[in-house]
Amino acid sequence: MKLTESIKKDFNTMTWVLIPVAIAINVVIGQIVAILKLPVYLDSIGTVLVAAVAGPWAGALTGTLSNIIWGLAIDPNAFPWFPVALFIGFVAGWCAIGGLFKTWWKVVIAGFLIALTAAIVSTPIAVYLYGGITASGSSFITAYLLETGKGVVQAVFSTNFLVEPVDKIATALLAYAIIKGLSKRYLARFPRAENVS
Amino acid sequence: MKDKLTFYIERESSLHRVNPLTKLVMVFAFIILAFFGPGFWLPSLLVVLGIIPLSFLGRVQREYFRTAGRLLLPVVGFLFLMQSVFHPDVGDSRVLLQVWVLNVTVEGVRFAYLTASRIFVMVSAFILFLLTTHPSELMSDLTRRGLSGTFAYVITATLQIIPQMQAKASTIIDAQRSRGLDTDGSFRKRVGALLPLTGPLVFGSLVEVEERAIAIEARAFTSKLEKTSLREIPDTKLDKAARWFFLLLIVLAFGSKLWPS
Repeated sequence: MKLTESIKKDFNTMTWVLIPVAIAINVVIGQIVAILKLPVYLDSIGTVLVAAVAGPWAGALTGTLSNIIWGLAIDPNAFPWFPVALFIGFVAGWCAIGGLFKTWWKVVIAGFLIALTAAIVSTPIAVYLYGGITASGSSFITAYLLETGKGVVQAVFSTNFLVEPVDKIATALLAYAIIKGLSKRYLARFPRAENVS
Repeated sequence: MKDKLTFYIERESSLHRVNPLTKLVMVFAFIILAFFGPGFWLPSLLVVLGIIPLSFLGRVQREYFRTAGRLLLPVVGFLFLMQSVFHPDVGDSRVLLQVWVLNVTVEGVRFAYLTASRIFVMVSAFILFLLTTHPSELMSDLTRRGLSGTFAYVITATLQIIPQMQAKASTIIDAQRSRGLDTDGSFRKRVGALLPLTGPLVFGSLVEVEERAIAIEARAFTSKLEKTSLREIPDTKLDKAARWFFLLLIVLAFGSKLWPS
């Protein structure tokens, strides 16, 4: 019972209202980054933000719903990747509880841990659903590794591990910058404000 | 920025009238059959004999082909090409043709075709579903069946907030450009443009969160009492029968996987 109690405490009205805005932040920043033609996605800043101020469960929910909305409204190709988004939010939340969202260099560590998680979780999806090569540009690295005789799982994981850290560290740092820009009075209304102050 | 925020096409058709949950179960039946069902051609047959005829039944065939062409063909085409070229050799595979140092094998092409057709079923079944089902209708139906109202709030609120934020984002992009911000120059300039574009957008939207929280608290958001719905969504006997039929297909698909062959 203690677990459900503590999960419930993370979902106050502020959390519920922040989640839609956070998902919109994911989508719209993702699109701005695409307009600027930057070689990253940055499509989970909102998820990391929720995870930091409202805990791992709220972060996991934001990630999941973010992919569902992306699939419902923009591109159904996003649906099968929801476990990745779920775990990004979940791990970011635990990083925040562990105090990794208090100074910028610790945020870099958090970003790295999030990247590692994303690489691990997306590997089986890419391998079993897409046969290893997905529709993203980084598939050329996977293809190259396959040609050098690596196994599919190993090739996909190595690719993810090369690509993810830059994206997720930048994501975590931007989420941290947003948190630093918010007032203490505002942050205090969220259930896990102590994680970021 | 581009695109309206739902795929939904308002039209009068028998597929539009089907209960949203029935259509959702159907989508999952298609996907599970494609990935777990028997036979190399099953996913292709599902598209030709299932999804495409249904798009005619729903009178959304033109939109279906257009959306599938825009979202799916690039993905599936790329997937097919890459996988047929880069499928790892397993020794005794028959070589179809040689490209530079790479062997395209019959096994590789078969594997690539199977994967591509499965992905095609998965995404195009969802496209068909989204073209004929309004998201808020799906949400009210699921809420009526016991999905928590707060979930439904999050989904519908998000679908409303995203277009607002996209409009705000394009205003900010225009404003910053008119002040001389370089959004398509060198890499360093484009990285530098990220903060001036996202900063005002994010902080502006986060400020509204607090006001909205107070507003919905005042409208019994956290009340535990059962809420009534304005819209009635039809759920006929035929819908129930269809759901059982699709569930049976799902079980059969999994069963065929477990059956010792």
